[in-house]
Amino acid sequence: MTTESTMTQSPTRARPARSVLAGIAAFGALGAYVLVSSVGLGLWTSLGPGPGLFPFAMGVVLAAMSVLWLLQELKRPSTTGEGADGGLVLAVVVSLLLLAALLDLLGFQLSMFLFLMYHLKIRGKRSWLSSLLTALAGSVGAFYAFNYGLNVALPVSSIPVLNLIGL
Amino acid sequence: MDTLNELLNGFAAALTWQNLIFAFLGCLLGTVIGVLPGIGPVAGVALLIPLTLNMDPTGSIIMLCAIFYGTAYGGTITSVLLNTPGEAASAITTIDGHAMTKMGKAGAALTIAAIGSFVGGTIATLGLVAAAKPLGELGLLVGPPEFFALMVVGISLLVALAGKSMVKALISGALGLLISMVGIDPVAGAPRFTFGMDRLLDGVSFVAVIVGVFGLSEILSYRKGESTVVHAPGFRSLLPTRNEWRRSAPSMARGTGIGFGLGLIPGMTGSVASLLSYGAEKKFSKHRNELGKGAVEGVAGPETANNAHANAALIPLFTLGIPASPTIAVLMGAFLQQGLTPGPTLFTEHSEIAWAIIASLFIGNLLLVLLNVPLVGLWTSILRVPAPILTALILLFMVIGAYTINFSVFDVFVMIGFGLLGLALRHLEIPLAPMVLTLVLGPLMERSLRESLEISQGDFSIFLNRPISAVLIGVGVLIICSPLLKLRKPKALMDDPET
Repeated sequence: MTTESTMTQSPTRARPARSVLAGIAAFGALGAYVLVSSVGLGLWTSLGPGPGLFPFAMGVVLAAMSVLWLLQELKRPSTTGEGADGGLVLAVVVSLLLLAALLDLLGFQLSMFLFLMYHLKIRGKRSWLSSLLTALAGSVGAFYAFNYGLNVALPVSSIPVLNLIGL
Repeated sequence: MDTLNELLNGFAAALTWQNLIFAFLGCLLGTVIGVLPGIGPVAGVALLIPLTLNMDPTGSIIMLCAIFYGTAYGGTITSVLLNTPGEAASAITTIDGHAMTKMGKAGAALTIAAIGSFVGGTIATLGLVAAAKPLGELGLLVGPPEFFALMVVGISLLVALAGKSMVKALISGALGLLISMVGIDPVAGAPRFTFGMDRLLDGVSFVAVIVGVFGLSEILSYRKGESTVVHAPGFRSLLPTRNEWRRSAPSMARGTGIGFGLGLIPGMTGSVASLLSYGAEKKFSKHRNELGKGAVEGVAGPETANNAHANAALIPLFTLGIPASPTIAVLMGAFLQQGLTPGPTLFTEHSEIAWAIIASLFIGNLLLVLLNVPLVGLWTSILRVPAPILTALILLFMVIGAYTINFSVFDVFVMIGFGLLGLALRHLEIPLAPMVLTLVLGPLMERSLRESLEISQGDFSIFLNRPISAVLIGVGVLIICSPLLKLRKPKALMDDPET
């Protein structure tokens, strides 16, 4: 490509990022949903403002701001924050979801021990000793500290065998 | 004389060994939270609320307040030693604080910061003592329309100052208000936005939302960083020279004035106070040419200002029930969970608790100096804990914190969901502060709006017919419309992660 051809090209207009457009669409849709739902809740009653009045106002703000944001983006696309580390997000969110799903079934001690071992040994690549000690302190240690020290009951396993051995 | 007697009674309650332990633990935890770069004061305070639910209200709030102002100092340690602020309010301290470390004066910088924090915090607390009665009595004259208008001003200020775009700040504020409306409507008793789920009839747990949006999203947005080597300053190097003391005194005085003044204004965060204090040093300091190269004024001013701000920001909360910053909004959530409503009635209905908390602020500020200066080596050792262990332990506390609010796994799922929402908001550069403020103020705001309209039988002009509310609504509208007048905002406000 020659210098001339570069100079004669019309400047390319920057476009809004896809994630920004998706965000605007999501907030716009939420605003529209709230507007419709709040009308159903009742904006005004014989006693005065109904339960839908305040949400209706918020729906208006959300919808109006989404439109304004879209106009701003079309005119001058904004930058977005740094992208997150996809692997980290997936690992943390999936492990947390599994932990939450297993808390009542396996009990706090066992599920938290597995959760911590995953983050320390597999993801963090810590040594076996360091991982085991930290995971035990964070699961069994935290369970006893909270249950007996702070009087805050953490869940125990709903599986009888595990429950019998104190998990 | 009444005020003095009540303050003395407050000291008697705050000096019981249980409350002293709570204040000590709060300062300790607050410092740790401030030191840890991964977790800010908002998430830190929210995370520890569940631990205090079983405690008596006085001890619980004493501990949470100590955590709150403890974080203001903890953040300084990493700013000075690592050039990485532990929390936003200490960001400006990195400039001269870290330069002092490179010159071998880290100890002096940390001591000056601790003393400045003590001076700023103590003077601001004296301001709270002086203002409590008169403002509280004034607050009792405030009816629902004025209260609504006052909250409009608070939210407008935060929206106007948060982030680069007011449109995004308004979206954040509206989102917080919508989340606060999930559950049973406070007047008619109708379920709203519960999607038929019984668990949502009591609303979405405030703590789970805050921990998710501020804490989990922070962890999810981590990027691989460089490894750091931290050297704690020796005990001998902790004492500043006579010249450093002399140079710091005027900066501390200016920092106190700026921090105190800004603490009274809703929407002004500690970061704004420290930033403006640094600006004042650049203008008024005799050694302004040395700023940026390791001048002690660059540490003394901002550090004094952010602690004066932290304590002064409690004045609008205690006297009017208005949280001035996101962290104070979380504290207000803790008050409400303990059955205490901050505001003028706090001094009439729970006078002994209110004064015990105020007295504990003096004690906590002193404890912070005693804790922070000699133990600086201990705090820096926290930074040597490997990142995977720190992350895993922070996640552990988040899960425990979310679970123990209602002893329900549902709240852990709520936290995870809001963590992802927080990550999306950060990516879209939508400020988080308006959301947390409206989340707390939403129910109060809605109640006062509906009460006002019931009084006026649906006539919206009630807000304009009453002089105080008319002026306040006018101020709120002016603030929201300020971008049309092209008022400039300080750049650092836009970069404040807390907002």
